[in-house]
Amino acid sequence: MSASTSTLLIPLHAKYVQSLGESKDDLMYHLTAHLRMNAIYWGLTALCTMNHKDALNREEMIEFVMSCWDDEAGGGFGAHPDHDAHIHSTLSAIQILIMQDALDRVDVDRVVKFILSLQQPSGVFAGDQWGEIDTRFLYCAVNALSLLGRLHELDVEKTVGYVRQCRNFDGGFGAVAGAESHAAMVFVCTATLAILDRLDEIDQEMLGWWLAERQVPSGGLNGRPEKLEDVCYSFWVLSAMAILKKVPWIDSDKLIAFILSAQDTDHGGIADRPGNQADVFHTHFGIAGLSLLGYPGLADLDPVYCMPARVIERMGLRKGWEGLPRKAS
Amino acid sequence: MTSAGMIGSELEVIRGQTRCEVASRSKRANVMKSRIPTTYVHGVKRVRYSQEALEAKRRKEQAKLKEYLILNDDLLAKAYWGKEAFDLTTRMLNMNPEFYTAWNYRRNMLIHGIFPTRTPVEVNALLTDELSLTTALLKQHPKVYVIWNHRRWCLANVPDGPSHTDLDGWRQTNWNKELYVVEKMLDADARNFHAWNYRRYILAHMPAKRSAQSELVYTTRKIEANFSNFSAWHQRSKVLISLWETGQLDPRVSKEEEFELVKNAMYTDPSDQSVWIYHRWLIGAGEEFEVIQREIASIQELLDEQPDSKWCMESLVFYKRLVLRHHVQRLTATERGSLTQECIRLLSGLQEVDPSRRQRYKDLAWHTAAQQRM
Ligand SMILES: [Zn+2]
Repeated sequence: MSASTSTLLIPLHAKYVQSLGESKDDLMYHLTAHLRMNAIYWGLTALCTMNHKDALNREEMIEFVMSCWDDEAGGGFGAHPDHDAHIHSTLSAIQILIMQDALDRVDVDRVVKFILSLQQPSGVFAGDQWGEIDTRFLYCAVNALSLLGRLHELDVEKTVGYVRQCRNFDGGFGAVAGAESHAAMVFVCTATLAILDRLDEIDQEMLGWWLAERQVPSGGLNGRPEKLEDVCYSFWVLSAMAILKKVPWIDSDKLIAFILSAQDTDHGGIADRPGNQADVFHTHFGIAGLSLLGYPGLADLDPVYCMPARVIERMGLRKGWEGLPRKAS
Repeated sequence: MTSAGMIGSELEVIRGQTRCEVASRSKRANVMKSRIPTTYVHGVKRVRYSQEALEAKRRKEQAKLKEYLILNDDLLAKAYWGKEAFDLTTRMLNMNPEFYTAWNYRRNMLIHGIFPTRTPVEVNALLTDELSLTTALLKQHPKVYVIWNHRRWCLANVPDGPSHTDLDGWRQTNWNKELYVVEKMLDADARNFHAWNYRRYILAHMPAKRSAQSELVYTTRKIEANFSNFSAWHQRSKVLISLWETGQLDPRVSKEEEFELVKNAMYTDPSDQSVWIYHRWLIGAGEEFEVIQREIASIQELLDEQPDSKWCMESLVFYKRLVLRHHVQRLTATERGSLTQECIRLLSGLQEVDPSRRQRYKDLAWHTAAQQRM
C-alpha cells in the first residue's frame, strides 16, 4: 500500500463527486442516464458522510428530482426526465428530498399509491408495471413507505412472508424464492426486517457466521462463497452485520486498508478493487463502509436506510443497529 | 437505494470506451485533468490517459455521442408507434441494453400496436426474434437484469398454437430452447446468479416439466467440474428437498450418498468453504444422533491429518454445540463437560489460525461456557 492510500482523501473525493455533473460532452455520461437519480443519491449521501453536503447545489438538485416525476405512471419518479417511473428511482428521489428537507414538494398520496400498486400476491414487489420481481424492490417499497410515514398501509405479514421464502439454510437471503444467498440481498432483506421490527425471522448466529466468512485474505469482502472481493460489498455485508450488532466479527483494520487502497489518488473516487476505475457507486459504498467501521472524520451513516444517521434519528426512525465507535482522528 | 437496482447491472465493461495509450509518468500534470467520469462500473482497469490521448478519444467519440443523443431524443419523444420507432429501440438497446425505458417502449409497441394486427404465427415469429435479440445482448452483458426480464416477458406472451389440438406446441419449443441458452450462459460463467435464477424460473414454469432427477444430474456435472461452485451446491440442496418431499428419493439413503460426495470434496480441498456450507445443510438441525456423531468422528480424522484446518475446527465446534443443544439428554454430566471443553479448546485454536474473525470465536466460547453453567 502506498503512502497516499493510507488515509481517506476526503477533499479529493468531494471534488470528484462535485465534478460528476460536468461531463455532458462525454458519451459515458449519457449512457448512464438511466442511473442518474441513483447516482445523485449516491453522490449526495457520500458528501453527507464526508461532511461536505454543500458541495452540490441544493436548488438545482431538487429541481432535477422534480423534473423526473412521471405523471403518466400515476405517481413515481423515473431515473431521468422522460424516463419511466420505477420503484428504485422513486426511493432515491424520496431519499434525496428528505436529505434536502424538501419532501413537501411531493404528492405523497400518489407516491404511496404507486408503490403499493406494485405488491404482488406473493408479497414481493415488482420494480414497475413490467413485473420484474426481486427482494431489492421489496426493500425499496418498505424503506420508502417508512420514510413517508405510511408503513401502516402495507400488508406486513404478506411482505415478511415473502422474505421468509427467500431465506436459505446458511442464514442468508436470495433475490427471489429459491435463489442462492447473496450479500446484497442479505442487506435488503435484513434491513427490511429491521424496519418492520421482525429481526426474529433471522437465525442471527448463522447469518453472522455467513457474513463474517465474506472477508477474504486481502481484507476485502465478497458477496458469496468463493467469489472475489469488491468494495461495494463493504456496505452490503457491513450494514447487515451492523443491524445484527456483529461488526466486530471481522477484521476492521484490514477492511479499512482494502477500501482505502481502491482510491484513485489522482482524480478522486473509489473503485471496486485496487487499480480499477473509480465510479460514484463504489465511492459511496466504500465511504459508507468506512463510516460503519468508525473511520475518523466521517459522519454516522444509518445502515438500515443507507442515509445520514442524523436525518433518520430526527425522523424518529432509528433502529437498534451498532457500528464501531468513531475513532479520533 | 441504496442498493437495489445497482446491485444489479454488474456491468463488466464500459461501453463505447476505446483503448488509448497510457500516459507516461512525466505527463502527470496533464494526466491530472483527464478523468473519465463513470457512474457504475466493475472490473475495468484504471487507465491513465494523457491530455492528447484523451482529446483524441473525445474526438472519436463525438460522432457516436451525436448519434446517441439524436436517438435518445427521438426515442423519448415517444410520439409515434411504427416500424421506424420499433427499429429505433433496437438501435438504442444495442448501444445501451440497460435503458429500461426503451425496453418498456418496445413492449408497449408490441402489445398495443403490433400484436393486435398480426396472426398468431406472426406473433410467435416476432417473439422468436425478440428472444434472439436478447440472446445476442446477453452474450455481451450477462449480468444485466432488464435483458433477462425481457426474456421472461417474451416467453409469457407466446400465443397458443400451432393448432387447436396442440395449444402448447410453440410454448414447448420456446421453453425447451431456454434451457439450452441458460446452459450456455452457465458454461461461460458457472456462478452467474442471474442465469441460475432464470434456470429455476424456466424449470418451474415450462409447460412439460423436466424431471427433478435430471436436474440433480446437472448439478453433479457442475460440481464435478468445480467443487468451489457453491451455486451448484445450492441448487442441489433445493432439488434434493423436492425429491425427498415428493417421495422420489428416500431421504435416508440419499443423504448417505450426499455425505459420501461431500467427503470426497472435503478431502480434495479442506479449505474450500462451499463444501463445508453444504455439509452443514446436510446435517441440518442434527436430529440424528448417530449421523452427527459419525460425521464428527470423520472430520476429527481429517483434522488429525491437517491440524491447522480452519474449516475442520469450525465445523467440529458447530456440530458439537448442536449435540449439546439437541441431544443433551443422551449425555452424562461428564460428557457434557468434556464436549464444552473441546469446543472452547477448538475456539481458542481458531483464534490462532483465523485471527481476522477472532472476536466471533471469543463470543462463541463465552456463549458455550455460559450454556454449560445453566
Ligand atoms: Zn461492486
